Amino acid sequence: MTINKTQDGSKLEIAIEGRLDTMTAPSLEEEVKNSLEGIKELIFDFKGLVYVSSAGLRVLLSAQKTMNKQGTMTIKNANEEVMEIFEVTGFVDILNIEE
Amino acid sequence: MKNKKFYMTGLAARLILGLALFVALVTIGSIYVGVNTYRASTHRHYNDVAYQVARSVELLFDKEELKEWSNVAIEYNTTGNGGDRIAQIRESEEYLKYLDTFTNLRRGMDVDDIFIGAVDGDEICYILDTDPMEDRRFSLGDRSGIEDYFSDGLRTAWQTGIPYNGYMIHETDYGYTITAVYPIVYEGGTIAFVAVESPMRTLQSDVNSYIFTVLIIVGIISVILFVLTALILVNLLIRPIKTISHEAAYFVDNKNEISENLKKIKNHDEIQVLAESVLKMEIGINEYISNLTKVTAEKERIGAELNVAAKIQADMLPGIFPAFPERKEFDLYASMNPAKEVGGDFYDFFMIDDDHIGLVIADVSGKGVPAALFMVIAKTLIKNRALLGGSPSEVLSYANDQLGEGNEAELFVTVWFAIIEISTGKGIAANAGHEHPALRKKDGTFELIKYRHSPAVATMPGINFKEHEFKLDPGDSLYVYTDGVTEATRSDNVLFGTDRMIASLNKDPDADPRTMLDTVRNDIDEFVGDAPQFDDITMLGFKYMGSEKSPLT
Repeated sequence: MTINKTQDGSKLEIAIEGRLDTMTAPSLEEEVKNSLEGIKELIFDFKGLVYVSSAGLRVLLSAQKTMNKQGTMTIKNANEEVMEIFEVTGFVDILNIEE
Repeated sequence: MKNKKFYMTGLAARLILGLALFVALVTIGSIYVGVNTYRASTHRHYNDVAYQVARSVELLFDKEELKEWSNVAIEYNTTGNGGDRIAQIRESEEYLKYLDTFTNLRRGMDVDDIFIGAVDGDEICYILDTDPMEDRRFSLGDRSGIEDYFSDGLRTAWQTGIPYNGYMIHETDYGYTITAVYPIVYEGGTIAFVAVESPMRTLQSDVNSYIFTVLIIVGIISVILFVLTALILVNLLIRPIKTISHEAAYFVDNKNEISENLKKIKNHDEIQVLAESVLKMEIGINEYISNLTKVTAEKERIGAELNVAAKIQADMLPGIFPAFPERKEFDLYASMNPAKEVGGDFYDFFMIDDDHIGLVIADVSGKGVPAALFMVIAKTLIKNRALLGGSPSEVLSYANDQLGEGNEAELFVTVWFAIIEISTGKGIAANAGHEHPALRKKDGTFELIKYRHSPAVATMPGINFKEHEFKLDPGDSLYVYTDGVTEATRSDNVLFGTDRMIASLNKDPDADPRTMLDTVRNDIDEFVGDAPQFDDITMLGFKYMGSEKSPLT
């Protein structure tokens, strides 16, 4: 998994490639935890993301909860499989996903 | 004695041998240089003496007279004419006076021979000779060939009128002789040459005594140096290094016991620094080992406790099968294989009342102890709330609110929870973000039942969990599982997936739940091979036989 961050003032875009699973989720959690201060708009670009496990969902949920207090969080470019995971797990109801 | 021998091995032996070799080389070198210098200066000295004598001879001669004698000698040598004149000169007062003068000069200067001659082609035409051996003494009119050692010097002097630049040395029965050839130039031409043979008999003995003296002096100095150096080496270098090496070995051999010997090295140099460093290192190693021992013990303790925790966790899940031997209306089986000592997956089943059974399968996000603790609470909350009565949605809402309180770790749990009415086969399920269940209608095949899921439990407060109604007919089977099944991963990163899982279930759709779960489990094991697994594998199978009261049986 690779993480690419682009920050523009209080807007932060995080692009993730590869698999977001038990093994890789902790490094994303660390990245997110360290970069959310002062962020009003958080965007996850999942163009290169092929898989999300429950550990990865937890990181997204945690980010969503943080952003609920300080701004907005959007997920874009999720592919079909990842979308299915979001739907099956009910995360479509929690996360703000751009179709 | 043992100590002495100890110090002469290894490092010491090599150093001392090297030192001896060095001293020998220096001695040989100094003798070689000394002898050569001495030889060169001796040669120069004798050569100078010979030339001084030769120049004196030149000065004593009357050139006019000498020129005539030279011409007579060459003429006689070339043509054979002039024998009378030669005899006449030999007897003359002047000739005998010169002979007498030069003989005295030869004796006075302590040289071997003085002779005067001229060169005619490859021959020497003698004019006058003072050789002390009469039978070897030449006279005017005699001639001889030119000896090799003499040839270059003589010809050069004769042709150029300038004395030869090199040394003409040859060995006689009495030792080495150096010869000076001095050309006598008169009226623009070389009329004769004076040759003086100067003996160097003293040279060889001088060289021998020189070598002897040098050997003695160098020998004495070498022995003193050798002993001093060896003492310094042994005391300053070898002994402390041996001590350090011995102490290091002692440390290794005696279970890391540190002796006091290293502290005794007080050289005030790098050796002392080395000794101190070794000592520090030994102390450091001991500290490290003691730390490691503590940490290992702690780790073992935690490991043991984890094993107990895993046992407790496993025991919390109903594990006696058949679970309800008196119920003929259904059969069920469940299994859980944690990836770590403790896991976050769980299954559960319980009779809510005589006609309702609750089935649960769940997966806590995350791994290890935090997930296990969360799992324990989730399982307890769901079962206890369900036993109080209520729909699956109400049960999960309650669990959601309870688990969401103070959930700092932000864990959540995906849950599939169903309540089945045994008499009718009617069921209500709530799926909080969990995997799609697989259902097999009698005489059909297993298929995933897909419907929209609610978010996982403990993700957000106040979730309204959607419910899904279904009906089981006698002969139908239900299979639920966690993502450990579908995401079992082969070494080439290929997942087991739902397709393989469904195929595995359909190998024998009529199988009882236990056989069904065993088949899937075996297929997963075969699929992943030796690749390590990171997720718990949990499954629950339920087969509905139908109620005896049901009109269908």
